[in-house]
Amino acid sequence: MLVKPTKSDFRVIAYYLGRISLIVAAAGCLPLLWAVLTAEWHPFGSFLLMIGVFTSLGVLGGRLAPRHPKLDWSHGMVVVALTWLVVPLIGAIPFVLSGHFGTPLDAIFDSVSGLTTTGLAVISDLDHLATSLNFWRHLLQFLGGLGIIVAALTVFAGPGGITLYFGEARGERFLPSVTSISRFIWTVAAVHLVVVVAAMTLVGWLVLGFEVHRAAFHAITMFLAGFSTGGFAPQSTSIGYYHSAIFEGVAAISMVAGVMSFGLHHSLWRGPRRDAIANLETRTILSTFGFTLLLTLLGLASTAAFTDITGLTRQGFFQIFSAHTTTGWATISSTELSSWGGLAFGGIAIAMALGGMGNSTAGGVKALRIGLTIKAVVDVVRQALLPERAVVSTTYYQSGKRHVTHDTVMAVMTISLLYVALYLLGAGVGVAYGIPLQEALFESVSASATIGLSVGVTDPSMPTLLQIVFMLQMWAGRLEFLALFSLIGFFYAAVRGK
Amino acid sequence: MTRTIRLVIGAAMCFSFSGTASATEGTTVSELISDSEAIAGSEVTVEGELVGDYGFRQDGWMWTQLNGDDYVHFPILDGGEPTGGNTGVGVRMPVELGQGLDPPGGYRNRGPIVMVTGVWKHHDPARQGESYLEATSLTIVESGRPRSQDPQWLVMLVGLGLLAGSLVLWRTSRRD
Repeated sequence: MLVKPTKSDFRVIAYYLGRISLIVAAAGCLPLLWAVLTAEWHPFGSFLLMIGVFTSLGVLGGRLAPRHPKLDWSHGMVVVALTWLVVPLIGAIPFVLSGHFGTPLDAIFDSVSGLTTTGLAVISDLDHLATSLNFWRHLLQFLGGLGIIVAALTVFAGPGGITLYFGEARGERFLPSVTSISRFIWTVAAVHLVVVVAAMTLVGWLVLGFEVHRAAFHAITMFLAGFSTGGFAPQSTSIGYYHSAIFEGVAAISMVAGVMSFGLHHSLWRGPRRDAIANLETRTILSTFGFTLLLTLLGLASTAAFTDITGLTRQGFFQIFSAHTTTGWATISSTELSSWGGLAFGGIAIAMALGGMGNSTAGGVKALRIGLTIKAVVDVVRQALLPERAVVSTTYYQSGKRHVTHDTVMAVMTISLLYVALYLLGAGVGVAYGIPLQEALFESVSASATIGLSVGVTDPSMPTLLQIVFMLQMWAGRLEFLALFSLIGFFYAAVRGK
Repeated sequence: MTRTIRLVIGAAMCFSFSGTASATEGTTVSELISDSEAIAGSEVTVEGELVGDYGFRQDGWMWTQLNGDDYVHFPILDGGEPTGGNTGVGVRMPVELGQGLDPPGGYRNRGPIVMVTGVWKHHDPARQGESYLEATSLTIVESGRPRSQDPQWLVMLVGLGLLAGSLVLWRTSRRD
């Protein structure tokens, strides 16, 4: 029997939602400050309004709090799901007021895309956007990549913190407390921020010949998008704007850091370092990267798209690297990407669908699930070949030796199948609108796996229903379904429960 | 009036190209992107706004971006409709050609609208497969100009009001 949520349940949820809103309001002060420093007074007003709305929600949530707010598992999941709905809605206020979006839905689309670290965009005239707004787009990606909840947990954890942590698709506990994990994640991000931004600024200034302040602007925004594997860029031509292999190389550092699980970062920083190579997840992602890279390079070679090996290698490598890390930057136009047929196109689509590592800023099915699925399939084949009574037992290494159990396989298969269903959902809606299957599927995978590479389907003129479906895909794909289903269940119980 | 004169001069200068170069007249930035391979190696003349940055590199080249979309003539800040993303290509030119240009287009500036003649490089092997326009000459059709946007006073007031209201509510709850 479904238990109808009580008033107290709603108040607990409102309380935690309020606290998280206050954290986002604090984050919103950064673009506000940016607007002041650059004297961009038009967007300044928008940021002030956005911060005002977040703060009001926060304070109202605090007023609604029961005397001893206790967060249980279902509350936590609902808080996470609602956070990821409310934040992009309110975070879209500066976009709506900027005049760069045809409709409020377009602005919300970019906000959802930013926060979920997807990178698909329907913004108009990005090249003339205020720098503070451009910074906000990228900061949204950074917040989404690291996790809004992780940001909140750094400030307040409490007894229900672990629920919130898991609800945001963070499945690994490599330190004893949620607060210590959150702080470690922010430390990793801060160290990379300093190193990569400094390196990118130097490259922008000394190699690309930009003015220093512009080099710094590009470095900050590109880092925020790269580390969160988000894929927004400050200029409309994405990373191709820079026309520099050196800049792409430095940007790749942030992409690698983003695609690595924070558990792996922990192993590399504090040992044991052998985990970095021994883990099933690392081996799987290296194998799938090699496989999809080979497919793409062979595909490009067979179509003679590039006349020389260096061009083929650099362009093919970067596109597949961007797809597999789920970043979504491109050195080529969407028109050209859509013309990459056959193996090259397939290689990129497969890389996107597989995605990065779990407990990272990346999206997609995730390497550990792929690795375990392969092991499970091999098990089934082995079992079929052995005598009936033989028992097949398989182990794998993931921060220690573990057994592949029935429960693990079931959990892995369920999430993987849900991703496949999600990929097909958007593709189906796209095809229904007359978009060719190949393009519809590519764009759907790009939205669901939070990539951001586009073959031109995502555009302000796209059908409204398809736009909404893509937003749902980004949301579900980022949260890996659990919080989404909890929210649906909560509302169903509120209506039908007793 | 000044703008009209500039446009007339610009148009006259563009016309002069037809007699001196074998450039493909009237090529658009969109065509460079969509027919990239077909146009590869051809000399083209393209009109658009220079946006982003001017990257003066040590190797004697300057890089920038040439946009050829609706916003060149109808910028959003001047009342143009948001009709979609930008359409731009990279442009490489000798440093001397890029000296003295008005600031590139961005939030603060409307970039110079120029007519660029050059060779379209598609997957240039010398640059590991990059595609871009290598400019040999550049004509300014319309000078760049600074732009400004008024503050949103009402939006600011509402925002401040919400913050003030939140503060009052917070203080009241603390007293309770």
